[in-house]
Amino acid sequence: MLYELAQSLTSGLLIGSALAVLSVGFSMAWGITHVLNVAHCAFAVLAAYLGYWSLSLWGIDPLLALPAMLPLFFALGVAMHRLLIRTAARRAHDLGLATMVLTFGLGVVMENGMQLAWTPDPRVLKTAYSSLTFSVGPLIVQAPHLVAFGLATLTIGALYLFAERTFAGKAVRAVWQQPMGAALSGINLDRVTTIAYGLAVATSAVGGVAMSLLYTFDPATHLNWLVYVFLVVILGGVGSILGSALAGLIIGLIIGASSVFVPLAWNNLVLFGLLIVLLLLRPQGLLQR
Amino acid sequence: MWRVLSGSFALPTPDVMLGIGLALVCAAVPLATPSAYALSFLFTVFMYGALAGSWNIIGGYAGYLSFGHAAFFGLGAYTTALLLFYFGWSPFLTLPLAGAVAALFAALVGYPCLRLRGPYFSLVTLILGLAMYSLALNLPFTQGSTGLFLPFLKVDVYTSHIIFYEIMLALLVIVTAVLRQITHTKMGVGLAAIREDEDAAGTLGVDATRLKLQAFMLSAFLTGLVGGVYSYYKSYLDPSFVFATSISITIVLMALFGGRLTWYGPLVGAVTLSVVNEVLTTQAPPQTARIVFGALLIGVIMFLPDGLMSIAQRLLPTLVMRRAQHPAARDETAL
Repeated sequence: MLYELAQSLTSGLLIGSALAVLSVGFSMAWGITHVLNVAHCAFAVLAAYLGYWSLSLWGIDPLLALPAMLPLFFALGVAMHRLLIRTAARRAHDLGLATMVLTFGLGVVMENGMQLAWTPDPRVLKTAYSSLTFSVGPLIVQAPHLVAFGLATLTIGALYLFAERTFAGKAVRAVWQQPMGAALSGINLDRVTTIAYGLAVATSAVGGVAMSLLYTFDPATHLNWLVYVFLVVILGGVGSILGSALAGLIIGLIIGASSVFVPLAWNNLVLFGLLIVLLLLRPQGLLQR
Repeated sequence: MWRVLSGSFALPTPDVMLGIGLALVCAAVPLATPSAYALSFLFTVFMYGALAGSWNIIGGYAGYLSFGHAAFFGLGAYTTALLLFYFGWSPFLTLPLAGAVAALFAALVGYPCLRLRGPYFSLVTLILGLAMYSLALNLPFTQGSTGLFLPFLKVDVYTSHIIFYEIMLALLVIVTAVLRQITHTKMGVGLAAIREDEDAAGTLGVDATRLKLQAFMLSAFLTGLVGGVYSYYKSYLDPSFVFATSISITIVLMALFGGRLTWYGPLVGAVTLSVVNEVLTTQAPPQTARIVFGALLIGVIMFLPDGLMSIAQRLLPTLVMRRAQHPAARDETAL
């Protein structure tokens, strides 16, 4: 029992890192523009499919395809902000709700577009290292989990350095903290938000590839992933990069623990219940100061 | 005394007469022996009209966009279905129970959830819908994804189509009447005040917590009734349809599309989109229909935040339209 728990917690922690990288962009976009991009995980599933096809059609590993995907997804994020969000924001009475419905529509379009293109069948990514395992002491670690962890650490680390060290990153943080003040100090709000959107969608591509290493996926999976993302973001606090990272790991541990104590079919219910309780008690986030 | 009587027997307003006339025409349709296909299509139109109307009480009037109404629909459907399946009680008798179960659930979850505002409320209702689906799938007595097979009505298929047609029409009329009546009561004005500015409404003495909960329960009750009829009509039930997120979304879309500030907006939206959906699904794979739906959702939010009826109100400033306008609705013509 104890061994089983330790094993589950280890893989839970690594899964949690994938959840963190899936969530960090969503959190950033929500924090900066108060827009809930409900289609965030639809982009992630799209990236998972692109990785899957690059492997099965051309034999290119998703990890190698990822650098090519990043600019594409950055552009998609920019386009989404320019074409959809800004127009809706000009007309809406209530930005949060209007954009939530808007991105919901986008998610529906993307999900069904992917179903048309690639059928609703679930896909399993079979990479060269899929069945590879390492043993750390008595525990067994699967290679895909480690790769996902590496991807997540790299991406979140890079994003953190961007936000802390670069001028553009500081501008993004300034807009998050105090949009009016940022505008008064000469920061171009529009430009900064566009960049933030591009980055958010680009990180969703990393998250999608990382998740596809761990789980089977189909076009409708994005709603399930979205539940994880909400959990992570609400726990970590909206807009916080390190908060997302920490919350992702915590959620991963909870998933690991619940897989030992709760029957598989009820796992989702545990998460739903947790999210509802969390939303009711502290909608502003547990880890937020 | 005479005055009171004559007042209560005054001629109904034009919009009411139009509504009653339309309902009578619809009720007489089976006399013309239409095809079973036409009857079942109209049944679906009425069903979505009733669902969008029920949703509008909380989503439109109060401005709390629920993305989880499939939970109430499914609860209603399972209440009548389980009572029929295990005890042989006719859904026509247990129908009020379907509404009551849904309303009770709404009271339980509504009390904490309605404290959340804007996207947070939408989010928690969305998750609730997903959770109910998981629950129905995993509970032993619902028979999970195998589903429940229910006995048919003891009449021939065509007659049963007519019976369900008339019942759903009656439900639609009830929902629409409730929806219209609310706009003429203190509750309607209170809900509109909550929608426009909840804090200000509170300072003016609107008991927001109680009103929202009432609206949520009423909305769930009516949705549960529709679900209760639906399960008997289908005579087969599994969680993946009655608890589907796509139902929740379709309802929201229809109400938004027609215009959620008026009582007839959701109805117009339901009729329009049901026809669009029917044409699309008979001509193309279901995915295409849903892509068009998603695109419509995007288009409505971007170009018509107040729905289709906001154009109608601008173009047709007739007596009917003016009388029918929600008392607290924003002046659309001023935009």
